[in-house]
Formats: sequence, C-alpha cells, structure tokens
Amino acid sequence: MRSWLLPAAFCAGMLAAAAHAESYYVIVGGIGGQSQYEERFLAQADSLASAARRTLGDDSLVTVLSGAGATREAVTAELERLAAIANADDSVAIFLLGHGSHDGEVYKFNIPGPDIDGAAFAELLNAIPAGRQLVVNATSASGAVLETWASDNRVLITATRSGGERNATRFGDYWAEAMSSDEADANKNGAITVQEAFEFAERKVADSYEGAGNLATEHPQLVGDAAGSFNVALLEARLATTAELEVLIGELTALEEQIEILRSQREELDNEVYLGRLQDLLLELALVQREIDDIREAE
Amino acid sequence: MRLRLTVATILLSGALGASALEIDYSAQRDPGLKACDAHLFSGNRGEAERCYGALLSSSQDARVRGEASWSLGDPQTANSYFQTAIEIYPEDAYARARWGRLYLATHQNSEAVELFQEALELQEEQVDAMLGLASVAAGQFEDRSRELVDQAIAAYPDRLDARLLKARMILEEGNLEEADAILEAALDIVERTDVVPLEFYALYAARDLLHGVTDSPWTTRALEMNPEYGEIYSVPAHFYVITRRYRQAIELYEQAVETQPNLWSAHAELGVNLLRENRMAEAQRHLQIAYRGDPFSAQIVNTLRLIDSFDNFQVIERIPAEGEEAEHPGMILRLHKDEAAVLEPYVSDLVNDAIATFSERYQFDLKEPVIVELYPEHDDFAVRTSGLPGIGLLGVAFGYLVAMDSPSGRDEGDFHWGTTLWHELAHIFTLEATDHLVPRWFSEGVSVYEEWSTGPLPGRHIPLHVLQAIDEDKLLSITELDRGFIRPTYEGQVMVSYMQAGLVCQYIADRWGQQGLVDVLNGFGEGLTTPEVLEPALGITADAFDQGFDEFLQRELGATLANLSTWQEQVGEALESLSSEDWLDAIEAADRAIANYPDHVSDNSAYLIKARAHEELQEIDLATSALEDYWRRGGYEPTALKRLATWLAEDGRTAAAVEVMTDALKVAPLDDETHIDLGGWLLAEQKPLEALREYEASLAMNPHDQAAAHYRLATAYQQLEDQARTLEHVLYALEIAPHYREAQQLLLEIAR
Repeated sequence: MRSWLLPAAFCAGMLAAAAHAESYYVIVGGIGGQSQYEERFLAQADSLASAARRTLGDDSLVTVLSGAGATREAVTAELERLAAIANADDSVAIFLLGHGSHDGEVYKFNIPGPDIDGAAFAELLNAIPAGRQLVVNATSASGAVLETWASDNRVLITATRSGGERNATRFGDYWAEAMSSDEADANKNGAITVQEAFEFAERKVADSYEGAGNLATEHPQLVGDAAGSFNVALLEARLATTAELEVLIGELTALEEQIEILRSQREELDNEVYLGRLQDLLLELALVQREIDDIREAE
Repeated sequence: MRLRLTVATILLSGALGASALEIDYSAQRDPGLKACDAHLFSGNRGEAERCYGALLSSSQDARVRGEASWSLGDPQTANSYFQTAIEIYPEDAYARARWGRLYLATHQNSEAVELFQEALELQEEQVDAMLGLASVAAGQFEDRSRELVDQAIAAYPDRLDARLLKARMILEEGNLEEADAILEAALDIVERTDVVPLEFYALYAARDLLHGVTDSPWTTRALEMNPEYGEIYSVPAHFYVITRRYRQAIELYEQAVETQPNLWSAHAELGVNLLRENRMAEAQRHLQIAYRGDPFSAQIVNTLRLIDSFDNFQVIERIPAEGEEAEHPGMILRLHKDEAAVLEPYVSDLVNDAIATFSERYQFDLKEPVIVELYPEHDDFAVRTSGLPGIGLLGVAFGYLVAMDSPSGRDEGDFHWGTTLWHELAHIFTLEATDHLVPRWFSEGVSVYEEWSTGPLPGRHIPLHVLQAIDEDKLLSITELDRGFIRPTYEGQVMVSYMQAGLVCQYIADRWGQQGLVDVLNGFGEGLTTPEVLEPALGITADAFDQGFDEFLQRELGATLANLSTWQEQVGEALESLSSEDWLDAIEAADRAIANYPDHVSDNSAYLIKARAHEELQEIDLATSALEDYWRRGGYEPTALKRLATWLAEDGRTAAAVEVMTDALKVAPLDDETHIDLGGWLLAEQKPLEALREYEASLAMNPHDQAAAHYRLATAYQQLEDQARTLEHVLYALEIAPHYREAQQLLLEIAR
C-alpha cells in the first residue's frame, strides 16, 4: 500500500500558515429546481465536504449548508459567525454550488426562500478578517461578481466569465472531482492547490463541451495571486509527525528548495548538465521520501 | 411585388472587366443591343464597348441602359437601371427575367429566383424566367431542373438556350446518346436561324470530349468566329471536373484563360482544380486573379480563405529518399497543428495498410505520393467539394489527394474516420488505375465494397432507409446507376446509390471473383463505358447483369427485407422495455430483433439494448458477450467499445481489450483516457512499442497531468530496455512532480 505523508513545504499555505492559524470551510449547496440538479448539487456538496473533512481532520471546521438548510438566514449566520471567530492568520474557503442569476444589474445566488444578492454577499465576505480567503462561486452567471467580490487577500473563482452566461454550469462537478483527484494533483505532492484544481476543472469543462460538439456556455475565471501556494485539499488525511520525521521532512524541504533553484537555472544550463544535477537531487529526495514512507508504514 | 431597394445596395460595387459572355437569346432583345452584341460575339470587344457606350448615352430606355451597362462590365449601374426599369415598366416580365439573370451572373441565386418567379407571375410561360429557374436548379444538380427545362422546350421549341441547358444536364449525367439527340435538335436551330452559336459550339466540343475526341472541330469553328472565346475550353473542362479528371480539366482551363485572360470563372475553376492537385501557389495566383475580377463569388473567397488557413496545418512528408527501396511512393499528410502529433501515427498506419491492400487487390501500383488532408472545421472540407455533385459528406478523393473531416470536426462517435479514410484511399486506386475514366458508380462501389470487406470496420453496413428503398424496388439498372449520384430524384437517393454500387461490386466479387472487379476496372481504363465493359470483362449483357444482381440481392438480403417491419417492431418493444426498466423483456425483444436482422449495429442497435439490460441486471458476462457480438459485426459507438474493452480487461482478457480499444481509436482518437488505458493493456501484453505510441499520443494532447504522462512513457521505454529514454522521461515526470511516488520508485530502480 502506498504510504503517504504530506511534506512540510507542501503543507504551507492555507493548511499551516501559522502556529495557531485555523482553517474553515463553508459549503453551500443552492436550490436545484429540478431533481436532476438537486441531486447534482447535493453530490457536489457531499464530495466537497468529504474532501474538506479529510483535509482539515476536524469536522467542526467544516460547515455544510445544503437543500432546505441553505437559507439566507443560515448562510448569513454562518458567515457572520466566521467574521466573529476568524482572525488575520486564519484561512477561510467558501464554496457556492447551484444556480445563480443575473438580470444585468444584480447577481443572485439561488437558495431556498429569498435569494442572497451579490452585494449582500460581498458585505458578508468582506466582514471576515481571515488573511487568506478562497471563494469559489460555481453557479451560473457567477462571472457577474468577479469585480465586486475580488479582494487583495482573496482568491476568487467563478464558473462563468460574466453574468450573461446563464446556463446551468458543469464547473461545480469538476471542481468537486478535483478535490479528490490524483490527476488534478499535477505535481504529485498529495496536496491540491487552488491553481491545480482550477486548471483541472477548467480543462474538464472545456473538454466536456468540445466532446459533445457544443459551444461552451461557461468560461471559468480565477482572480487573485495566491492560487499556486494555496492548498485547498489533501488527497489523504493529515498524519501526525514525530521528531525523527521532522528531521527527515527538513531534509526533504531542503532538497525541494535545491530542486527549485536548479529549475530556475534551466535555461542557463546545458541540458545534459541540468538533467544530471536534477537526477542527483531527485535520487536523494526519493531516498529520503522512502525513508519517511517506511517509517509511516511501520507505524 | 416589392421593390428591391435593399438588394440594389448589396449588388456589386466597383467595375468589372468582361467575363463570360452573357448571350440573350430572346427575340425581345433590343435591336440596338443586338447590333452591339454582334461586335462582342465576334471578338471585337473594343467596337462592342464603343457601341454599348453610345447606346448608354443615347437610349432613354432604362432596360436598354441596364443591359448596356451590364455588357460594359458594370453590373452595379446595370442593377440601378433595372430597378428603375421595373418601376417604369412593372408589367414587363422579360425585363424582370433579365434582371434575374444579372443576379445569377453575380452569384446571388436566391434574388435571381425571386425575380424569375415574379416574371412568371406576370407571364405564365415567360421563357427567360423558366430557363433562369432551370439554370439555378441545374447548377445545384437538382432533379426538378429537368422538368423546368422540358416545359420551356415544349413552349418554345426554337429556343437554343433551352436545348443547350437540357443537353448540358444530360451530358452531366453521362447519357451521351440522349444528349446527342438533343444536340442534333440544337444544331437544326443553329442552321435554321441566325442565333449566336458560340455556346452550342462549346457544348458540342464538350460532347466530343466525352466521346474521347479532344480536338473537336467545333473548337476551331468557335475560335474562328470569336478568337477570344475562352468558354470553348472552359465548358468542356467542366465535364472533366464532374467526371473527376482534374488534371485534364486544368489543361483546358489554362487554355481558356490564355484565350480569354479576363474569363474570371475559368481562373476560379483553374484555381480550385489546381488545389485539388496540391498545386497551392498556382491555385492561389489564379484565385486571386479571379477574385479581383469577380469579388462576389463565395466559392472564390472561401477557397482563398482555406488556402490562408493552411498556415495552421502541419505538413508531414513520408517520402522515400531517392534510391531508397520502398513499397510505395509515400505520403504527405496535412493535419491541423493542434492534432497532428496525435493523429499522425494512426493515419500513417492506415494509409500504409490501405496502399498495400489495394495495390494487391487491384493490381495497380501508385505512381505518386498519397496526400491526405484532415480538416477540423467541416466548412473547410466543404469548400474543397464545392461545385461537385453527389459528393460524400465526410470525405472526397481528387486522385492522389484525399480530403476529409478530421475526427475533431464532428461529435465523438459521429463518424468512423478510419472507414472514411479507407473508402477514400480506395478511390485513389480506381481513379488512378483508369486515368480517372472510371464512372462514379464503380469508383464508389469499390470503395464501399472495400469498406465492408477489407476496411477497419467489419461487416456490411446498410442504413435502414436504403433497405427500405431496396424493398420498394427503387434501385437503378447498372447502366443508369451514375444518375443516382449526379441528379437524385428522391431524398436519400445518393446514399441508396452508394450502397447499391457497393452491393454490385460485392456481387461481381462473389460471382467472378476479385479478378472480375479488376477486369471491369481495366475495361474502364481502356475507355469503355458501363454498357460496353460488362461483356468483355464479365461475359454478360447489362440486362443479364441486372437480373443476376436482383437474384443476388434476394439471396443476400431477402430474409432481412421480409422481416424488416417485424424487426422494427421488435426494436421498438425492446426500447420500450428498456425505458420502463423491464430488463428481461428488453433482452427477450432484443434477442428476437437480433435474430431477424443480426447485421444491424447502428442507431438503436438491439445488441446495445441487450447489453444495457444485462448490465442493469449485474450480468456483466452476458453484457460483455452482447457487446462483443455488436463489435464483431462492426458496431463502433465509442462509449460502448470503451466499456467492452474495460470489462474484457477486468476479466483478464487483455488481448481482446486491446483489440477493441484499438478499434475505438478508429472512431474516437482524441480521447486521452482511451490512449492511457490502451497503453496500459499493451504494456501488460508485453507490447511496449505499441504502448509507447499510445502514451506519446496522450502526451501530445497536452494533458493536465503532465507528470503522469511522462511517467507512463518512462514505463514503456523501460519495457523496451531503453535506459536513457526511461531516465529522461522519469526525470521529466519528477521535475514536474518531485514527490511522485511511482516515478521515484522507477528512478531508484533504474539508477541502481
């Protein structure tokens, strides 16, 4: 069986930003309108929740509001709660699944009872003091909030590029898939960054339309600078470390840094020289990695 | 009737030089215009221009001024005059028909048709309008053109243009005897009246050409009358084009533009046909000349755009070096840059297989490299076939050059690109072995027959509507079969003709062996026509052939035809049971349907219904078996094939899974997962070279998971014992993903 431990360097970002930093996930599944959509949104919410619990290792940090429970009052209350408990060192990830609408002026997230409009949502988001925020709005017409929800400390993802793309989206399906996909984990470090998940889902969306010979009615967008260093999911549960492992993980981190430096010099080096040095470092890294894995296996 | 104000602004801007002669055969033509025409038709263009110019200044009649402007090469002004004329003379049906002709000359058929119809509303048998409508229909190879022209001839037996239009249509169908009779009647008119005979000469020269006479006396006569009459060459050239003798057509079009450098239509056709011969630079030059003279032809504009789009294509040459021993002269592939790396190996393999197969079966060795173009945009492919009658929707062969839709040009599973390419490659042999003298039906017949007998897709695939046509006795006799392609008389007849031609070839092969097909092919190569070829090649008359073919059809399809309606009911029952989730009933009905029509593997195939029902019942072994039957009979729905392959692999039948998945690639080669799965199974079967091809295709598709793609390549190289390449790709994988456990493991393994 494959042993697994997330190296420290790759835990950086949202999952281990600071000693007392905490991470919170909020997943909201909006109203489907038809049974096929109800089922899809519920499945997306379940899949995301499962990935979130696996990633955070603490169910209390994951809030899921879906079906009849995803009312305006409940969503507002949850975001206000986060605003009250989160601090600048914390991370927050909010996922909105379902239908949205845009009448040319106002975006609305469709939930049971009264909808929440884009401006109200922005206000709730802006009240959360968490220093690192991820907001994924997978609804139709979600592109309408690209400008109004963007913020310096926030990575914002929408399923569409404008409020004019009003058809039901597929982005939520593929985003949920990315949270648990080896394929999405392009650098195979066991952690899915926001960037990796976005690229995976964006490509899957495009392929799904192209494969069916249809014109794409959604074009996912990402704004914000931290997507590449923002780990949004772990493919396996986090494991406790020991002093011995800490040492090894330190070695691993040092090797990763050397590899990164070498990669940055690629253009300047002869290919053979580059590959030779890369091989030496990768061999060392593989050996350290194996040692770590063996220790974990033995536990 | 409404004024055509909007159209007036659309029609043409900028003056044109002269182009094709527009001969007005009407007795109503103004005498002043006729006097000018005489200069024009005798080749005295300068005098004609002075004459028309004087008329334009002196005449107060807008109709005359319109005609004069048109003859002077200014259709925009002509259009304005005609518009004015119709306001002044709203009841003049002739003027309206002439205005329609102006639109026709500038490629605006729908406006022309409207005007012709308006003229006919004013005057029921207005002959110019009748012939205008017939010309439009004939230009689109529509069957109703015949009815329209017959009406015109009946009402106006002395109108030469009516006879010529009819003769042209009949010649296009290849019915030389009937055309001769019509041309005799036309000759009689020419001899009895003072009608301008230039178009008659041109058509007679075309008739001579179809009889194998290339130096027609009518050509000389025409040039004596008008030394600048380029159509004496371009009209016969058209018949070379529709009989697919593009090289000869090019020669005639070259003579046409040499004789009349401002014959824009000939420049355009020359360009289009040079393109069919892969002579790009020359084609572009002539099309640009044509465009400068006639900027309103959609065909010219689209073809120029197509040439521009070739910048996005990669040309891959597989030509043997000089002195190198090779099986054939090689191939040139023109594939879109985005998919060239993925498709190239599969296309190359299929071309090689086809050349080897057909060279042997038709005893003909190719003389030039095969050129294959695959278009991701169907519209680009459509430009290639513009102006050709009865061309397949998916591919075309112009001799050594084959053009077709790329697999990405259609929805996945929409067409089997492997079969289409196989079909088109067979055309190269029938065309080139006969110097393009092969009739349409035989070339198509061989291609269809080869699809069924040697192509990548097993089984004989006859669409349901074709079976129904056979059942309704709608097939044509062997001597008339070409007509079904050129000018179909009912919807779907082109496809019926394809299938009939394929069955005819199957009949020949069954009764006379493969040599029978070769003998017929060689007979066509010697210039024999269909009625002439049967006796020497097969020792049978056309009537006896038709009778034998009927008996063959009865043997082959009699049982299926007899049960067709029952089968349809059974499929309906099976589908209904499926939708109501009565799985056992669905299986039972599907089994009955399969028993009645076991070859049916297209839409709503009973095999697929049965497989689905078994799957729902968790009877995967039975579902697998149903899909295997489907696949073995040529079913190719890619999702079904992928599912079958997966089940076979899960059952440990990896070799069979490989076979099925390889077939899936012939219909859906741009699916990353298919390549990855197939590559894995090939490695399991210890076939690393084949696996490598799949993994290279996967990497060429620029997948999200680049590290995994490189790792897979490394595993294939490892099995090939290519240590250097294994290391290279494992390093690439780890460069992207340093923590990639499998790649780390492989690195440690090979670095030891």
